[in-house]
Amino acid sequence: MRIPILKLNNYLLVSIQIEMDDQAAINFQADLLEEIHQSGSAGVVIDLTSVEIIDSFIAKVLGDVVTMSNLMGAKVVLTGIQPAVAMTLMDLGIRLNNVSTALDLEKGLMKLHQELGG
Amino acid sequence: MEDRFLEKVLDNRNVIVDLWLREIVPIKDENYPTTISHELIDEINREFVEVIFSSIQHQHDVENIEQFTEKLINLGWPLSFIVDGLQTFRRVTINYILTEFKQIDTDYFSSILEYADNWLEPIIRQLVNEYTISWEETVSLQRIALKELSAPLIPVMERISVMPLIGAIDTERARLIMENLLKGVTQHNAEVVLLDITGVPIVDTMVAHHIIKAAEAVRLIGATCILVGIRPEIAQTIVNLGINLSNFPTKSSLKKGFAEALSITNRQVIELKEEQENIEKLLDSLQKE
Repeated sequence: MRIPILKLNNYLLVSIQIEMDDQAAINFQADLLEEIHQSGSAGVVIDLTSVEIIDSFIAKVLGDVVTMSNLMGAKVVLTGIQPAVAMTLMDLGIRLNNVSTALDLEKGLMKLHQELGG
Repeated sequence: MEDRFLEKVLDNRNVIVDLWLREIVPIKDENYPTTISHELIDEINREFVEVIFSSIQHQHDVENIEQFTEKLINLGWPLSFIVDGLQTFRRVTINYILTEFKQIDTDYFSSILEYADNWLEPIIRQLVNEYTISWEETVSLQRIALKELSAPLIPVMERISVMPLIGAIDTERARLIMENLLKGVTQHNAEVVLLDITGVPIVDTMVAHHIIKAAEAVRLIGATCILVGIRPEIAQTIVNLGINLSNFPTKSSLKKGFAEALSITNRQVIELKEEQENIEKLLDSLQKE
């Protein structure tokens, strides 16, 4: 099952609503980068509100996707990370230092808007 | 033989009570100089000795002791008083029996000691038990209270919350802090959280590690954590220990942190001039008259 990637003006919206296994994560990485390439989007919001568990591999893939997207010139914001997920990531020692975050989708879009200067 | 002693003791209870009261006075003066009135002490002492006698008379009657102990605990009477009182009672009773029967040999003596122990052991055990139960209750209640107080998140303003921390931070409390912080941020939709460590006496590597972890977790869920209330000595310890706190903003006081929080959320405090204007109007109207 593929994760849908939606285009909104200059941005891409991704809402992850399935429990991702390793293969799904890798597929998602490839799909997102392809979509950025095709649409030339300047910003991406990945919403994780419905994600209840993140293991170290998924976390690594997410971190990689962010770095790769930045390389391709698209700014990424992760939104809606659940408290439990944040605590697990801290316990796993995953800091995601280079990733910008926001409370929810709305604030994530605002943040992109601000950072990309309208 | 035991019955004979018992009878003797019970028959002469008034004598023993007097002896006991005389003995207990120095102990009493030592332990309770001012706070409790002498009348009350006398009253309690008489009641105490009554309880001892009734307990010796009816061996398995614990109700009296329970009531009496409850009363003492409510009065805040120290346990040492009870123990001293019982010891004195044993000594007085044994002396009394020895002088009355005027018979000296080792077997006889040791049997008296044994009987006296048998009479008083259950009372001591009961009293100490009651006290321990009451202390344990207090401790567990305080532990719950402490837990409730340990990490409150206060939404002071829309999109800004404050968590004041007071007292030492251990691993369990750090976990609680992080949980409350993250839950509170999502619940109140806070963009900025001020973590106030003014009341934390010591910041060592462990505490700093926990604070950094909490702050990074807050960043992950999409808010900003500002560490405020860093006193000079804490700043020194942090640098001397080589702890890196440069990843998130820090401020010396809650006030400065709040100003920073306002600027992060694109707001500012504007003072209203109404008061001044009102005074001017008042002065104008006075001048007209």
